[in-house]
Amino acid sequence: MDVLIWFEQSAYGTWLRESPSMWAFPLPLILHAIGMGFLVGTNAALNFRILGFAASIPLRSMERVFPVMWFGLVVNVLSGIALLMAYPIKAFTNPVFYIKLILIALALSVLAKLRNYVRGTSSDDLVPNRVKLLASTSLVLWVSATTAGRLLAYTYNRLTSQDVFFF
Amino acid sequence: MTGFLRSLDFVTSFTFWLDNSALSVWVISNGYLWPALESIHFLGLSLLIGTVGLFDLRLLGFARNIEPKTLHRLVPLGVLGYGINAITGALFFVGDTGQYVYNDAFHFKILFMLLAGINVAVFYLTTYRQVGGVSAGGHTPLLAKIIGGISLVLWLGVITCGRLLTFYRP
Repeated sequence: MDVLIWFEQSAYGTWLRESPSMWAFPLPLILHAIGMGFLVGTNAALNFRILGFAASIPLRSMERVFPVMWFGLVVNVLSGIALLMAYPIKAFTNPVFYIKLILIALALSVLAKLRNYVRGTSSDDLVPNRVKLLASTSLVLWVSATTAGRLLAYTYNRLTSQDVFFF
Repeated sequence: MTGFLRSLDFVTSFTFWLDNSALSVWVISNGYLWPALESIHFLGLSLLIGTVGLFDLRLLGFARNIEPKTLHRLVPLGVLGYGINAITGALFFVGDTGQYVYNDAFHFKILFMLLAGINVAVFYLTTYRQVGGVSAGGHTPLLAKIIGGISLVLWLGVITCGRLLTFYRP
């Protein structure tokens, strides 16, 4: 908890939270939505392709879509850290936040498996059911992670160290 | 713009009427309905950026090994995302009309959406057929690159305005 208070009271954390500037809190909030669009959106595109949608796209060529995902992921890790710096106690005292992190970790591990498959396949392969199951799992995980993220605004117990608990 | 809208009697009475309609009350006072709609709105946004945004990037020269014509097969998913967001967005508007009518961020969001719509129309009326003939590894015409760049900027602008709504709330 001390570490969280230290982050919250740091110059950057305080500025993010208290400055009326659009470059303070709104900027990471906007970037987090944009990064999500690229990360979750291209994952959805890949998963739907694996499940048979837009089958004329050679699956092997979808390898080139991964840099867009990495871009979205990097944007969201960085903007996510900024959002955490502003309200560390809000996130770390909310079980939904841990659920969101676990869902993202699982989604990324499924993504790593899908990447191996995409890299190794020849374009006209029939996709095995095992891989289709992975793609479906990936869709469920990203939908759940996005939902958990949105619910953070509604499920927190404390906003800052100055708050008494309220339920 | 917000001041001008407030000065129009029919806007104030329309906003008041919609904000007090049965549907509005249902949307806003239905437990977790609002957060659920927000989550769906985020997923619709992702579908749009992950497909239309990806196609825009291809027009600009990214992932050139994929034929634009085949990548374009993903666009219906983006249209689905757009439809999902039109519906959820309309429910937000009905649920809390005043918050949007008198909100500068919302005005810009609508403006960017209109411009994006015009941009799409220009694409299909001009360079679409040429782009369809571009093979894997091939370059798209300059006009297609410009349209793709404008599309990307406008859709990211729409997301930006959407996120800014809370900060310009009346």
